[in-house]
Amino acid sequence: MSAASPDEIGDAIHLDGIVKRFDGALALSRASLRVRRGTVHGLVGQNGAGKSTLIKLLAGLHQPDEGRIEIDGQAYDKLTPHRVEELGIHFIHQDRLLVPTFTVGEALFLGREPRIAGTPFLDRRLMHRRSSEILDDYFGVKLPNSALISELSTAEKQIVQITRALLDQPKVLVFDEPTAALVRREADILFRLIRRLRDDGVTIIYISHYLNEIEELCDTVTVLRNGEDVATLPLGETSAAAIARLMVARDIADLYPKRSVTPGKDILTLDRLSAHGKYQDISLTLRRGEVLGLTGLLGSGAKELIRTLFGLETATSGQITIGGKPARSASPAQAVDRHLALVPEDRRGNGVALDLSVTENITLSSLKRFTRLGFLDFSGERREADDLIRRLEIKTSGRNALVRTLSGGNQQKVAIAKWLSRHSEIYLLDEPTVGVDIGSKVEIYNLIGDLAARGAGIIVLSSDLAELIGITDRILVLFRGSVISEFVSSQTSPDDVLAASTGSSEVLRHVG
Amino acid sequence: MTLQTSAIEPSVPRALIGVVVDNALVLALVTVFAIFSFATPTFLTIANLQSILVNNFTLLAIAAIAMTFAVSVGGIDLSVGTAIDFASFAFVSLVLAGQPVAVAALAGLGAGAAVGAFNAVLISGIGISPFLATLGTLFIGRSIQQLLTNGGNPVYLPPSGVPEAFRFLGRGAIGGIPVPLIIAAIIIVGATVVLTRARFGRVALAIGIQPSVVRYSGIAARAHVAVAFILAGLIAAVAGLILSATVTVYIPSSGSAFLLNAIGATFIGTTLSRLGRPNIPGTVLGVLLLGIVANGLLLTGLNFYWQQVGTGLLIFAVLALSFITRRKA
Repeated sequence: MSAASPDEIGDAIHLDGIVKRFDGALALSRASLRVRRGTVHGLVGQNGAGKSTLIKLLAGLHQPDEGRIEIDGQAYDKLTPHRVEELGIHFIHQDRLLVPTFTVGEALFLGREPRIAGTPFLDRRLMHRRSSEILDDYFGVKLPNSALISELSTAEKQIVQITRALLDQPKVLVFDEPTAALVRREADILFRLIRRLRDDGVTIIYISHYLNEIEELCDTVTVLRNGEDVATLPLGETSAAAIARLMVARDIADLYPKRSVTPGKDILTLDRLSAHGKYQDISLTLRRGEVLGLTGLLGSGAKELIRTLFGLETATSGQITIGGKPARSASPAQAVDRHLALVPEDRRGNGVALDLSVTENITLSSLKRFTRLGFLDFSGERREADDLIRRLEIKTSGRNALVRTLSGGNQQKVAIAKWLSRHSEIYLLDEPTVGVDIGSKVEIYNLIGDLAARGAGIIVLSSDLAELIGITDRILVLFRGSVISEFVSSQTSPDDVLAASTGSSEVLRHVG
Repeated sequence: MTLQTSAIEPSVPRALIGVVVDNALVLALVTVFAIFSFATPTFLTIANLQSILVNNFTLLAIAAIAMTFAVSVGGIDLSVGTAIDFASFAFVSLVLAGQPVAVAALAGLGAGAAVGAFNAVLISGIGISPFLATLGTLFIGRSIQQLLTNGGNPVYLPPSGVPEAFRFLGRGAIGGIPVPLIIAAIIIVGATVVLTRARFGRVALAIGIQPSVVRYSGIAARAHVAVAFILAGLIAAVAGLILSATVTVYIPSSGSAFLLNAIGATFIGTTLSRLGRPNIPGTVLGVLLLGIVANGLLLTGLNFYWQQVGTGLLIFAVLALSFITRRKA
């Protein structure tokens, strides 16, 4: 096959000029993806660039509003997940599709169990032989068909998923962030497998945030940005850093109102903080008036670090110091007593109580201030709520409105107001503008600036790199559990930060 | 989106619906009351209304308030009857043994609180779901009572051996108002204040609505859940004291008779409240509703066995009412 010229090989997949809207919002605007047979094709883009929408269209989970889908040179109008599987296209998703209470055998053969000829009984012996052939041949592992999925490691679950696809002799395999939860050795096994499948003639689409993997593994890469394919390049002619530059939008408008605050005294210090299997030897210092950015991909340990500071997870070694005193918190209650505040990423789950009123949410953390002999001081609560609604410009029909009725941005302001009421001094903001409209975003950025100006220390965890650079003073990048590089926000670009967080080799040389 | 705009500019029909939603329970009560007044001449008499309050209301109201505390933190207490029984057993046994009534009563309250504390350990300490934890307590409590009473024999107080204070608690009256009713009224007022005006009540309701937010706000949610279940046991114990003082006997596992009605009243009150939150006035009106339906059906001369059909239909009617009013609001 490798001897044939490209034209003779032809396309396994050709998505052409795809347009897709959700509730009026444009998810894909004329995106195209052309994957040649028998190649490993990378697909990259920032969160929200349209990768998952494109893949869901291919999987038959969504239908395009405009554009053409061709598979093996043949155009298809209405793809269904079932039809796609019949065409030999299989998807390997992280942590999906496998029912934890199933056995390996049930998971592998679900919906296509071989029967003993002429009977309704399952042919368990044939099932076992076929699965162990593939497991042994491709992975060199033995997984008993009777083992429970929930007992398997992440890598083993993935092996089951891939084996399930291989049992069908697929033509195209789509890997969606397959290494996010794998250790290096497991990832290497996966890469060897992918190369072998390609040599066997299987077409691979490989989606990953890790640009070094794309560089290592793929023949061609397509870069998506804002719902469009901005480039499709052979890997021989590009580099991880160049890909990173393509991924980040150039036109960063002036929407980051950064105010300059002279940092004061140290307020929070981490000394070689480690949590086994999550992050190692994290040391950092946060000062009053400083906004520190933290970023990293899934599995970088940044999220776990924030959760540890707030007492939701425990560190296995190292020191946390707040105001000169040791401050490893065993519970959020302890952390809050140390004037820490967490604005969690899952706003509607953990940040605000949707069916409590604006007032009830705002005073939830600071109720002690509004309690006399165990009873609530309603008028004090009302004053506090009115004051914060005014200061933060929370748009609500009134302080008694349920938070459910507020927009995402205003819900987020309530989540922050709660900590202002608690007089918190160290703010941990986890993806503070996710799901927030652009107007409210700017208001939240201003609020963060106000907090810093009033002497609070702020850590912002965000995967929106333009935002992170726009509103922070410094940025620490975590990669697989360690601080891999540190940037001064005013002297860096999203490309550099992204390249660092994806472990791109070129930038590593600059930094390291 | 529509919610938001409607909250800012309430139109006249919407405001009317608001009044109905706010008062759906009162409306239901008035309706049921009117139906029975019309259907049977004996319903709307002083004697009968008194009988409703004494026989169909007092004990169930107290048990349902205990249940409301468990429900307020997002749980349920299937062992309210167990707390009633344990309190009753301790009370009667100690009076029978010649202890002062006050001492016996305190021991009874302690026994009920101990049942609640046992639940609290299972739920807040070990992390078992309230439904399963209290179900376990219910079964264990039943066995313990049978073991303590040689297989379920009642513990009688001989007519000559009933102390005056004991009799007063069950059958006495102050200014013509039965003592049990006065106690129930005190508990109703106290529980309402705790749930609406105390910090504990606010936190409890927040836990019932979205426990993770309470935890993420730096509040020891588990401790509050524990207190709610201990309070439930303690309040149920009061019902146990009144029960045994009224009938001057402890009958093993008799408290379980209150369980389903207490759940029913609590959820009727929750369902028909404007915000859908557990609340004491709602629970009390739910108890009245159940009591009136039970009493009214009896008076209409309907076969006794039809009574539970009446209760079931009442619950469906409540659900339908809440569905209609919610959807329009």
